[in-house]
Amino acid sequence: MLEAKNITIRFGGLTAVNNVSMQVRPGQITALIGPNGAGKTTLFNCISGVYVPNEGEVILDGEHLEGKMGYKINAAGISRTYQVINLFWNMTVLENVLVGMHSRLTATFWDSLFHTKKKREEEKQIVEKAHEWLKFVGLDEYANDRAGSLSYGKQRLLEIVRGLASEPKVILLDEPAAGMNTTEKAELDVLLQRILKMGYTILVVEHDMKLIMNISDYIYVLCQGSLLAEGTPAEIQNNPDVIAAYLGGDE
Amino acid sequence: MNNTLSTKKKLPIGIAVAVVVLALPFILQLIAGNDYSVMICCIILVYVIAVSGLDILFGYSGQISLGHAAFFVIGAYTSGLLNNYFNTPLWLTIPAGALLATGIGALLAWPASKLKFHFLSLATVAFGEIVYYFLYVSPKIGDSSIGFTNDYMGINVINIPFLDNYTKWYFFLLFFVVIFLLAKQSLIHSRTGRAFMAIRENTHAANGMGVNVRKNKIIAFAVSAFYTGFAGAVYVHLIRYIAPATAQQKQSVLFLTMLLFGGTGSLVGPIIGVIFIELLLELIRPLQEYQMLLYGILLLIVIVALPGGLYGGVKDAIVSLKRRKETAKLAKSDQ
Ligand SMILES: Nc1ncnc2c1ncn2[C@@H]1O[C@H](COP(=O)(O)OP(=O)(O)OP(=O)(O)O)[C@@H](O)[C@H]1O
Ligand SMILES: [Mg+2]
Repeated sequence: MLEAKNITIRFGGLTAVNNVSMQVRPGQITALIGPNGAGKTTLFNCISGVYVPNEGEVILDGEHLEGKMGYKINAAGISRTYQVINLFWNMTVLENVLVGMHSRLTATFWDSLFHTKKKREEEKQIVEKAHEWLKFVGLDEYANDRAGSLSYGKQRLLEIVRGLASEPKVILLDEPAAGMNTTEKAELDVLLQRILKMGYTILVVEHDMKLIMNISDYIYVLCQGSLLAEGTPAEIQNNPDVIAAYLGGDE
Repeated sequence: MNNTLSTKKKLPIGIAVAVVVLALPFILQLIAGNDYSVMICCIILVYVIAVSGLDILFGYSGQISLGHAAFFVIGAYTSGLLNNYFNTPLWLTIPAGALLATGIGALLAWPASKLKFHFLSLATVAFGEIVYYFLYVSPKIGDSSIGFTNDYMGINVINIPFLDNYTKWYFFLLFFVVIFLLAKQSLIHSRTGRAFMAIRENTHAANGMGVNVRKNKIIAFAVSAFYTGFAGAVYVHLIRYIAPATAQQKQSVLFLTMLLFGGTGSLVGPIIGVIFIELLLELIRPLQEYQMLLYGILLLIVIVALPGGLYGGVKDAIVSLKRRKETAKLAKSDQ
């Protein structure tokens, strides 16, 4: 469904991602792992339109997305979260989710300005929907609080539902467990399974090996910009190259 | 959207405000016995529209404009010149002025929307100065007995017999203030308004969440210019005078001071800021040369002591008072 083909991106002399190809299959959790600085976030940025790759293609259900603006890629069906949390801090928790729905809404600027029936009906509908999303991750009681006032773990959850609110074909999660405690991680494990059951497809970058081995259907290992290995969790766990990379790396 | 006041308390407050606003010109005339104070109220109403427009751009979208007076003046001159030279009626000159300001706002935003904060502020300062010089060096148009000179423009009032005193003006302007503020509220609580705020909060994430950043910045500029241009277009008919100097920095800084002092990103903030500063300016009228100094001091106060402006400060005070009451209650029930 989502396919990255021969992606290469260079920053000056540094080749951050070097000829990487990967596939994300529908209804699965695909993981991207690798030591710090391997190029995982950079690859996410190439897929989601933050960077334009120097070479390569990004294809979602047959549609070429490489080089498109981020907002168009979101509309095409790829949403994401960020390694460094990027919420709209001074907006309410609810409003954050509503912004997440932006590309699915049909009210125009004129509807907005003149408070037309179309806008009023859509607003009513999406506010309800947003509350449902917040209930889904247990944040509904904070709906009218500033996003910035949430605890770290809750901010991560809010970012995930903000990303899901556009009902994407694929959601990219960049280190969703970072900064979470053990309980929160266990909850995240369950949450990802529930998201999968709703029919979503997930591509996740994560350093927590226990979590990754538990939830992933398929894993890609990136090291110094290049693809080192790919396979099922069992295959990856027993791959000598991967073990060497992780022991030799700064993990 | 944090509700500081419960809905139960909001209704009586709303009714009280409405009564005062409707009775104000009559009360003022009783007390002062002249039209002057009512005229000040009219200016306040005009500025509420202008500053609310700036709020859409700066308060909600996070895009600074240090040349907003230029839109005000574009609205004023368009409206004034049409009225003077073509006898165009008011109901045409005002939209014409507002729309020209909107168009120029959108044109300016086209390249400016790519600029980061500091460069945008420089660009908007330059824009204001360009508009000022353009008007300043423009040749006289037609017969100057009623009209356009290098220094100022007077407006004849033949076309507006239904606005022959300031009380009538007051209600005429009040009508538009209500319309513009309703539209602002509707816009803010919509897909477009949330896109504005998302851009203000985090351009990068806004783009990632499907917001076309460039397009929405241009829309914010255009809407803002419409508000401020409209205000200028009615102002010229109210005051019957406009000079190129109004396009200068001083007026832009006035708008910004009113906004920051009242509180950005709210319905009430700009209103409070305009009322407070306009009245203050009236009080210190003899010291007019020190206006810029006053703006500087006020801005300093806001930046250092009142980051949310007057409105933000009052809101925070109410919230913390409530919280203190609640904790007091809890402490009592614990005993
Ligand atoms: N905009 C940029 N300009 C220059 N170099 C960059 C840029 N973005 C990333 N890099 C470099 O690319 C390399 C890969 O970085 P990236 O953030 O993708 O790693 P990562 O795999 O996500 O690491 P981590 O696990 O620490 O998040 C790093 O060496 C980084 O310094
Ligand atoms: Mg990373």
